Amino acid sequence: MKRGMTPLHLRSAAASRAALIDYGKFFLLAGLAVWLLTLGTRGMGYNWQWYRVPRFLFTTEGGVWAAGPLLQGLWVTLEISLLSLLCTLILGLTAALFRLSDSFTARALARGYLELIRNTPLLIQIFFVYFVISPVLDIGAFASAVLALSLFEGAYAAEILRAGIVSLQRGQWEAAHCLGLGLFDTYRDVILPQAVRRVLPPLAGQGISLIKDSSLVSTIAIYDLTMQGQKIVSETFLAFEIWFTVAAIYLVMTFGLSFAVRALEHRMNGFPIRGAGGIA
Amino acid sequence: MSADERIIEAREIAKTFPGGVVALDRFTLAVRRGEVVVIIIGPSGSGKSTFLRCLNGLEEIDGGSIVIDGIPLDHHRKNRLLIRQEVGMVFQSFNLFPHMTVRENIDLAQIRVRKKTRTDAAETTMSLLAKVGITEKADRYPHELSGGQQQRVAIARALAMSPKVMLFDEATSALDPEMIGEVLDVMRTLAAEGMTMVVVTHEMGFAREAGDRIVFMENGRIVEEGETERFFAAPREERTHAFLGQIL
Ligand SMILES: Nc1ncnc2c1ncn2[C@@H]1O[C@H](COP(=O)(O)OP(=O)(O)OP(=O)(O)O)[C@@H](O)[C@H]1O
Ligand SMILES: [Mg+2]
Repeated sequence: MKRGMTPLHLRSAAASRAALIDYGKFFLLAGLAVWLLTLGTRGMGYNWQWYRVPRFLFTTEGGVWAAGPLLQGLWVTLEISLLSLLCTLILGLTAALFRLSDSFTARALARGYLELIRNTPLLIQIFFVYFVISPVLDIGAFASAVLALSLFEGAYAAEILRAGIVSLQRGQWEAAHCLGLGLFDTYRDVILPQAVRRVLPPLAGQGISLIKDSSLVSTIAIYDLTMQGQKIVSETFLAFEIWFTVAAIYLVMTFGLSFAVRALEHRMNGFPIRGAGGIA
Repeated sequence: MSADERIIEAREIAKTFPGGVVALDRFTLAVRRGEVVVIIIGPSGSGKSTFLRCLNGLEEIDGGSIVIDGIPLDHHRKNRLLIRQEVGMVFQSFNLFPHMTVRENIDLAQIRVRKKTRTDAAETTMSLLAKVGITEKADRYPHELSGGQQQRVAIARALAMSPKVMLFDEATSALDPEMIGEVLDVMRTLAAEGMTMVVVTHEMGFAREAGDRIVFMENGRIVEEGETERFFAAPREERTHAFLGQIL
């Protein structure tokens, strides 16, 4: 019980001093970054016009509140990201289970999918799905975007989930075997709850990548956040203001996801990740 | 002895591991119905665990045959599943499910495999916890329990399937000395109730007192077997003498 050895009041005083120094460093660095930015843009003779930005976020014509192009784009990005996230998890889980399956065909299929997806650029995959696959399946740009993103992120999610599954002790499988549980029940009740809990942080990272990668769907004429930003910039030349605003919106989304996952992790803290269930 | 008088019948089973290690060498062992405790002893690496693991299909055998309660452990999925359901196993390392409470660990197979209602399962679970003496820990997680308590939960979890046979693979070897007794007590209770058990153990006191029959194996074969009293009082084989001399 090492922690118990430091008296409580001393520990909290030391902790708050450390936190203060930490915040100090953060603001110092942030200030430095802003200063560099101002210096750089001043050198370019850039004329900042932040006052023109709000109207692209929302309009209040006639006292009626309406979303501007950026918020409309945000909505599209959210829709695509959430749908893709769902499909990514389903696809990733399927591919992971295929890779761990006893069937040669299933394993080969999963291997082929993973190698193909992870060794080619996402942009080309998006084009391929949009121009080659979508006419065959008769789907639109939006569905193509979701399909391409899910296929791409699903390959990474599959490897993360597989790593989580194989990290469990063999004894967990054996205990389930001896209780007469079938494969489905074993995965659902015993293996996946533990595996997912272990890989939640990298899985969240993949979700964040998905949100950022979704900006590439602007290339197939989807009016997502990035596309709207591009359009506004080309019409107004407010390059820095708009791009910074767009980046900030992405940041809010990714922070939101991180926060949600952190909360989920906290809720699942009823049992330790490692070293439980005895020795070995 | 006819086939249906036997609850376990292993004939000439062979098991060689990929590295070329012969773990079981034409190993034959039958357990009669009504025979309660069969103790398996032998030096490290003699194939004791491998034998138990073959009995419920955790390891594939390379030759020979295994029949449990009249069901052959063959390539029919149905039979294999039935055998897994009829044979309970307790491991040295407990292998409780760490993300489930004690109660959930014991409920699981009753609900998923035996298709009991939650109420029925809960009732069985509480009576099993009472049997192993830890009702007060029902809503704890495994990591909140001592080793002895975890092993008792593992026994209760296996019993929840109402198995015909229980296998114990060094169930007390991972425990601190002061916790061994509580687990052996539970095993004695089971023996008194007539549960057929095949027990691999180094606890010679327990073997002497609870065992109906002792099987001494080495190098994947049986060196000597016999009724407990006779086995310890007058071992016939030279190797048995030497082994007992070492461990007693
Ligand atoms: N999965 C495996 N792969 C390769 N060899 C194995 C495997 N499991 C066991 N063996 C080998 O098979 C032989 C028998 O092992 P087993 O675990 O059955 O012995 P044991 O009698 O239970 O020993 P102990 O008292 O140490 O538990 C040993 O030589 C062991 O090294
Ligand atoms: Mg062993």
